[in-house]
Amino acid sequence: MNCQDFEKLALDLARNSLLDATARDQGLIHTEVCSRCAARLAEERALLARVRAVAAELAGEEPPARVDAALLAAFRAQTTATASSTVIPAFGGFRRWASWKSAAVAAGILILISALAIFWKSTNSRMPRREERAVAPAPVNTPDHRAAPPDGRDLMATEQPKTLPKRVRRRASEDSLDEVEVVTRFFPLREGEDLTTLDSLQVVRVELPSSALGEVGLPVDPETVTEPIKADVVLGQDGLARAIRFVR
Amino acid sequence: MVPSDAELLRLMLAGEEKAFTELYRRHKGLVYRFALLMSGQASVAEEVTQEVFLALLRNGRRYDPERGSLKAYLCGAARNQVLLLMEKERPYVHLVEESDEGGAVPIAQLISGDDPLSDCARKEANRLVRQAVLALPARYREVIVLCDFQEMSYAEAALALDCPIGTVNSRLHRGHALLLKKLRAAVRLDSAAPDAQGMRCFA
Repeated sequence: MNCQDFEKLALDLARNSLLDATARDQGLIHTEVCSRCAARLAEERALLARVRAVAAELAGEEPPARVDAALLAAFRAQTTATASSTVIPAFGGFRRWASWKSAAVAAGILILISALAIFWKSTNSRMPRREERAVAPAPVNTPDHRAAPPDGRDLMATEQPKTLPKRVRRRASEDSLDEVEVVTRFFPLREGEDLTTLDSLQVVRVELPSSALGEVGLPVDPETVTEPIKADVVLGQDGLARAIRFVR
Repeated sequence: MVPSDAELLRLMLAGEEKAFTELYRRHKGLVYRFALLMSGQASVAEEVTQEVFLALLRNGRRYDPERGSLKAYLCGAARNQVLLLMEKERPYVHLVEESDEGGAVPIAQLISGDDPLSDCARKEANRLVRQAVLALPARYREVIVLCDFQEMSYAEAALALDCPIGTVNSRLHRGHALLLKKLRAAVRLDSAAPDAQGMRCFA
């Protein structure tokens, strides 16, 4: 082995990652007869030792807890949104297309909810406190809420806030033409959260696929599974959805 | 039996929160440290970590276990994010970051070991290495971070960087040569150089 050949191996020799035992032995023998290559190997080993000292110093470095929390919230939001929009059976070669479609629907719902929340905040900085509390109903904290029959009507919650965004207000007036709205009780979207402990809540009306009913244990008619259904979503101050009720 | 990354990913995509938290716990440090070594900034590392795992939530199905480890896949995603952020920041001069505590130094950093002098020397030596790594062109820096700091194999690094193994090998050789040169220069110039965080190379 000459110095040029050794140079090709120097790094792997220093890293102890040379798999070919013969090449490794030849390289080490070369360092015994060539002081320049021996120094080169020592230099590489010293460099790696320094690099690994830095790596050891950084070994405990991890992202702060706020990143953990943000990602967990994103995971939960995505799981909730996806679950309520992926009941359309995908088959054959359309599976991929269907999953894209579901993702798009989920994203659309989230964007709609966020846009409504932002719009609401900007148009109605003084949220009527009485109504906020009215939509933080006690049944939300009922441990066996999923097992409870869905036929309970929340009469207090049928009352709409007085200053809704235009789009919601128009819908509310349209709904008034259909006489009385029938609503379910509120179903919590986050397990174990006590909504009464939150400072303020907002309600926005959205449209979801009827399949979303199944996510809270309500019966879904297979024939109308893709048809939209109105729902009121309770948003916390952070803009995250906390509870939902369905409207007919 | 410990579930594999691929199995955890499958469960995570099916909506299992535990699978997601376990995957995140396994790999968050790797991604964060990669971004930290590449950028020299904790804020960038934080943002990159968040983006990488958000992308995994969104596009996790794109990962093919037969092509390589999830570790390499995540590092590849982190690398793309880092390069993107660095490109965005190129026109700006970076200021030294403050810590979360409003500029205060974390207490752990104020506590010295049994031998304060050697502690100090070790920290200084490490600072010089980080500074020299940050001053490398990105294509060499990323190979050194993956292969030397993260101790990835050439094959894994090649997957993360989306290039042939031979390219990883040659860049690592060239990167080491540059790093040695910079370290020699740094030692000659003493340690009066500015903080490592302000020395990133955008080449």
